[in-house]
Amino acid sequence: MKIAVFLPELLRHLFKKPATVDYPFKKLAVPKDFRGSPFLHPDLCIACRACERDCPAEAIEITSLSDVDKKFRMAIHNDRCIHCAQCVDSCPTTPKAMDMDHLFEIADFDRHNLKMHWEFVRAVPRREPKPATAAPNPAPAKTEPAA
Amino acid sequence: MAVVKTLLYLLVYPGFLFLFFYSTFCEWFDRKVYARLQNRMGPTHTGRWGILQPIADFVKLLAKEDVVPEKADKPLFSLLPVFGLAIVITAGLLLPVWFFSDAAVPMISFSGDIIVLLYLLSLPTLVFFLAAWSSTNLFSTIGGTRVLTMLFGYEVPLFMAVLSPAILADSWRLSEIAVFYQRKPLLILPNLIGFVVALIAVQAKLERTPFDIPHAETEIVGGTFTEYSGKKLAFFRLMTDIELVVSSGLLATVFLGGFPGGAILGFVQFVLKTLLIIFFLSLIRAMTSRIRVDQVVSFAWRYLAPLAVLQLLIVIVIKGLRS
Amino acid sequence: MKFQIPIGPQHPALKEPISLRMTVEGEVIKDADIRLGYNHRGLEKLAEEKTWIQNIYLTERICGICSHSHATCYVQGVEKLMEIEPPKRGAYIRYLVSELERIHSHLLWLGVAGHEAGFDSFFMYTWRDREVVMDLLEMISGNRVHYAMNTLGGVRRDLDEGQIKKILDGLEILRKRSEYYFYLAANEPTFVGRLAGVGYLSKEQAMELCAVGPTARASGVPRDVRKDDPHAVYDDVPFEVCTADTCDVLGRAVVRIKELFESYKISEFLVRNLPAGPVTVRAPKRAKPNEVLSRYEAPRGENMHYIKSNGSDKPERLKVRAPTLANYPATVVMLRNGFIADIPLIFAAIDPCICCAERTVEIVNARTGELSVVRFSELRARANDRSRNLSRKGKAVWPL
Repeated sequence: MKIAVFLPELLRHLFKKPATVDYPFKKLAVPKDFRGSPFLHPDLCIACRACERDCPAEAIEITSLSDVDKKFRMAIHNDRCIHCAQCVDSCPTTPKAMDMDHLFEIADFDRHNLKMHWEFVRAVPRREPKPATAAPNPAPAKTEPAA
Repeated sequence: MAVVKTLLYLLVYPGFLFLFFYSTFCEWFDRKVYARLQNRMGPTHTGRWGILQPIADFVKLLAKEDVVPEKADKPLFSLLPVFGLAIVITAGLLLPVWFFSDAAVPMISFSGDIIVLLYLLSLPTLVFFLAAWSSTNLFSTIGGTRVLTMLFGYEVPLFMAVLSPAILADSWRLSEIAVFYQRKPLLILPNLIGFVVALIAVQAKLERTPFDIPHAETEIVGGTFTEYSGKKLAFFRLMTDIELVVSSGLLATVFLGGFPGGAILGFVQFVLKTLLIIFFLSLIRAMTSRIRVDQVVSFAWRYLAPLAVLQLLIVIVIKGLRS
Repeated sequence: MKFQIPIGPQHPALKEPISLRMTVEGEVIKDADIRLGYNHRGLEKLAEEKTWIQNIYLTERICGICSHSHATCYVQGVEKLMEIEPPKRGAYIRYLVSELERIHSHLLWLGVAGHEAGFDSFFMYTWRDREVVMDLLEMISGNRVHYAMNTLGGVRRDLDEGQIKKILDGLEILRKRSEYYFYLAANEPTFVGRLAGVGYLSKEQAMELCAVGPTARASGVPRDVRKDDPHAVYDDVPFEVCTADTCDVLGRAVVRIKELFESYKISEFLVRNLPAGPVTVRAPKRAKPNEVLSRYEAPRGENMHYIKSNGSDKPERLKVRAPTLANYPATVVMLRNGFIADIPLIFAAIDPCICCAERTVEIVNARTGELSVVRFSELRARANDRSRNLSRKGKAVWPL
């Protein structure tokens, strides 16, 4: 029966720096593709509603404010959002209109402070001429900001 | 005048207030060493280096709601924490530290006080059992039976190991034992086996890992302390802390040669030697996992008791050789 | 003298609510009764209301520790229904994340076993090293839990050179630390004394009670879906099924540590031999009417999803059989004739993921003991009746 098997490793740790990060006085950096909260680039959005359809938590709401001048309002309910970034994947524009930021300290006492909204005029999708051979994916629609 | 002086001794130093602050300091030291051994930080932000954390825990518990279960035996349930605290503070008064005059005589000292100290340290176990029994909770009952089962294991080796240096020093008085080993420091070495046995047995008495079966958190939800909350729980935790200080003081007196040097130097030696023993106890705590109650009894009778008997034999042989 | 101890629904030994009623005589357990249903969320019904893509995220949230296994099992099934196949690179990345998840789950289990046994230092060390895997997963997928790497037809993100190098470095560190944990778990006398001989389940009993995962493999039953029914990359990757012969909790710990080493080997192979190419193919919106049963080796055992489609963009039926559900009957047998002190260890040894295993709920009438299955609307009506007829305080009938 071996006694004190653990002892050398334990004593070695007395002289090491602790592995704990002293949050909230010191913070770790998040990696490059971290999934924070979603937000919109309003000048690139074509209001196709793909993100609203695909969101698992029904956190995106797009309403039409005016049919004549094509004004839309997008509300993102960050209290319902599950931060999966499916909206970013479903967005068909290049560069993507939906994006994820890197914030993770978004806790709040009131759930209504977490809702964000944008009002914008729909961007005009500019179609590229199709290549001769049929591609499996349709060419991504390029957008330009509405004048 | 003498009455005022006695009251001051009992309440301030070396009585309640001093033991309160020193035991919270020792608990902080224990928690910090335990954390550093596990590569984490321990208490950090309350006071510099987290030193005020145990006091903060005590104050927080005092402020919480005190719930007494309906079927519990109310007088016994409420009185036991105070009773236990009184026992360990009384035991603390017997340590040979508190020199106030140059005659180097501690506050209370009489022949046979080592036996009284050991007896006073056994009483908290009974207090725990009565606390568990009067709670009438299933988990507390199991905790209480485990407390008594463990008592059958470690009590005999502890007594034999602590009494061996007393036999070598030819006296039953703590201050005389300390003085004997201060004069002949080499005679500390034959008592090393007894020191190791006493460390393990004290760990069992204080109900720390690997012997924290009576209040095993993941099995019986707190055992003895399941139904205690608020002030009563605060007093129980203070009682375990002071028991830690008193037991390490006892071990330091008997095995490490006491605290010579008068008032100031003796006090510094007391702090250093008790912290050394608490360091060893924390090391044992971090190193092992909890063992089952039947394994405790078999381990104690198979390994600890024979080693303690061996220690007694060595002491008797050396005593015969010296005379 | 027999009396009943309730372990749960709230208990420090359990991470999730489950009710285990033990009939105890002294310190010896005579019988155990498992009651489920405290964590039922109605996931199978909710899955019928959401489209195929939205369901990926729903199935991922069945459990936190084995989230990728549920998502992969579902996506495997739906890809079969839609008759698409992910490209090689996508499949490699998907199963790389699976193996990384297995590593993180086994390190978590080692820590939990140490904590249940009272060995807190071991718990702190294994969880500190688990942070290496969590950082790798965060770098690959963007989140530490709920990686959301799967999509219908492949994976959503790609790996680049810098990430591959970090993965290999992390695996190296973990391998060294795991060797130390193997040495420690096998040699520390107090820990081995707690684990050895506890929770005995013989080979015949394991096969008869349909135990899965490391619970069965520690009794010598070499059952592993990755070998029995290889899918996608497991044909190419060389690895072995880890078994042990001791049939007790120590055997299960040894099996899990051995699986850690196998996972390091598999991950390294996948990362070094990553083929070039796209990571995803486009998936249609609807699936033809069909039914499929998808199997997958989660860290806890065999995970099965049954999916039925009726030609629309939502599934008609999704049924989840989590591995913990298959291990419950074996747990009851293991608990008999054990000590009370062993309950947390025996229960933790099957690696319970109780929220995975919550499906239908049977109502037991506490007075007469009859069983019935009722609709949710009727349950609600009954609960409202009962709370209306209660007086303020003191008359609450505890359903013990």
